[in-house]
Amino acid sequence: MASDATNIVLEVQNLKKYFPVSAGLLRREVGQVKAVDGISFSIPPRMTLGLVGESGCGKTTAAHTIMRGLEPTGGKVIFHDRQLGAIDLATADKEALFQVRRNMQMVFQDPQSSLNPRMTLLDIIGEPLVIYKIAKGQELIDRVAQLLKRVGLRPEYMRRFPHAFSGGQRQRIGIARALALNPQFIVADEPTSALDVSIQAQTLNLLQDLQDEFSLSYLFIAHDLSVVEHISDFVAVMYVGKIVERADTHRLYHFPKHPYTEALLSSIPRPDPAIQKKRVAIRGELPNPADPPKGCYFHPRCPYAEAICAEEEPQLQEVEPGHVAACHFADQLTLRGVNEF
Amino acid sequence: MHPNLLEITDLKTHFFTEQGVVPAVDGVSLQVKRGGTLGVLGESGCGKSVTGFSILRLVRPPGRIVGGAIRYYGRETVNGEDLTALDARSEALRQVRGAEIAMIFQEPMTSLDPLFTVGNQIMEAILYHQDVSKAEARKIALEMLDKVRMPQPADVIKQYPHQLSGGMRQRVMIAMALSCEPQLLIADEPTTALDVTTEAQILELMRELQDELGMAIMFITHDLGVIAEMAEEVAVMYLGKVVEQSDIQSLFTDPQHPYTRALMQSIPKVGQKAAGRLEAIRGMVPSPRDIPSGCPFHPRCASFIADLCNVKTPRLQETKPGHAVSCFLYNDGGGINGV
Repeated sequence: MASDATNIVLEVQNLKKYFPVSAGLLRREVGQVKAVDGISFSIPPRMTLGLVGESGCGKTTAAHTIMRGLEPTGGKVIFHDRQLGAIDLATADKEALFQVRRNMQMVFQDPQSSLNPRMTLLDIIGEPLVIYKIAKGQELIDRVAQLLKRVGLRPEYMRRFPHAFSGGQRQRIGIARALALNPQFIVADEPTSALDVSIQAQTLNLLQDLQDEFSLSYLFIAHDLSVVEHISDFVAVMYVGKIVERADTHRLYHFPKHPYTEALLSSIPRPDPAIQKKRVAIRGELPNPADPPKGCYFHPRCPYAEAICAEEEPQLQEVEPGHVAACHFADQLTLRGVNEF
Repeated sequence: MHPNLLEITDLKTHFFTEQGVVPAVDGVSLQVKRGGTLGVLGESGCGKSVTGFSILRLVRPPGRIVGGAIRYYGRETVNGEDLTALDARSEALRQVRGAEIAMIFQEPMTSLDPLFTVGNQIMEAILYHQDVSKAEARKIALEMLDKVRMPQPADVIKQYPHQLSGGMRQRVMIAMALSCEPQLLIADEPTTALDVTTEAQILELMRELQDELGMAIMFITHDLGVIAEMAEEVAVMYLGKVVEQSDIQSLFTDPQHPYTRALMQSIPKVGQKAAGRLEAIRGMVPSPRDIPSGCPFHPRCASFIADLCNVKTPRLQETKPGHAVSCFLYNDGGGINGV
């Protein structure tokens, strides 16, 4: 992925977010949790980057740090705003952030807790338009009606409160709110994981339609590997705060280069009883991010680990053009793709 | 010995709320074979969990079993008895719960008591059901932790639930559930809250323990992938009713009910990325307070037949040996007028 300004919407460079760990009576700082530890990626216009990993791997912290909901410890987040040009969100001042946030929005996992129960749909979806002084009065109502229609809800409902809607409908309300300012870029953090199976497909279709219609770029965060494969053009796999592999979706799922990716792929429960799976035995559990193992963080669970893995931390290296992996043996191992288990 | 361990016939569990009656389970019939695995598949509100709770008679007011029978063919004390006829607080039922039929849940944190050590909680069930001393119960608890492949069981037994990860807590729940060697384990979405690698480990563990201990499992889930891996027989539920029932192979190679087919088409299949949209099911799951007339799936069904599906309720009928479906597309549906 080249960093050509015209071909990139978001460029994350060596982003870090550490949280202090304090202990004792005086709450002295005794260590750090490196929740996000030097991740880099970029997202081209109208493309979707899927960010996958297990709970606690730092994917949600990464999203919040990119949006500057959390102060980054280090690194850059270059956003190519269509009005303002390239801006480093990690160091931008309040006024610049206010302006740039028009063009980047977020959709959350739980539509129950991310919508204010005391606000009507008109207030919820209209709020961004009011804050940015884009519309008021009848114009605001018209614009909200249009947004509701676009996400498949009836405009008559705009005076109702979120509790009157089902989970899937609430997620549509959240999407309408994110669309209100006509953004370039949306972070979707587990947008379908709280939804029923039959509602998940509707929501994924809506997100894809909107991407085509409004030329949106997505950072799509999820733990469901089937959903991520379906929606993403590129995928990055995170493990204990770091990206361990990144490639286009097809290569990552069919020709993984990192043993953790292989283990994830082999763990997916497949909706086909004819598949007799030969699982990659993955031992143990995620390490404590406050006290990760030496060397490669994955080595205590890795079936291919050798002496060097416990000593030296592997760096992300390009295995093939556009395909990077952080494994000492990335170019020697022959790992199995998703259809080979 | 009876070939089935559990036979549910025409079970009806309704909730009598101020806003009206919610028929959460409405005429469900299921069989669990001795040592076999029955999968119960459905989305939220379909009644799959209430079915599980009904078996153990754990449905709380305003819920009540209003019809049907749950016959359990267990060890000598309870053989062929109808569990619905027993008093929920009776000694007989207490002997069934935990000792004969055990249950594990989705969120292990809420099913474990934060104030007691893991060892204490496993021992409680053992001491209740078995005539052993505290020291012996502790020994059994340690053996059980070892059986569920818990790393360092001697340390874990002294720990509190918050000190364990989600996967380890689910292992503790399984150890507790299996400590009295039950004949039937009801597993209600046991891996839904877990990460994918942990989920794979727990599913593997459940299969191994089933081979080892020979218990039957009733596996309740919404996940088609998990059901394909775990179940031998499957019942698909929609709004309180079983709409399709089959062995696992036939269900996946020849799904018949439009709901089952639509579900299978609507999920993205990993490794087969196709450009374009998913085939979504239209509409949403209706509220169980407001169940559509006729076939409950008819407002969302792609094969809806006007003046039939919205008027008559189809009944579950066999379309081939071992595969039953309740849909007018395949038979006369054994429909009942105006219900």
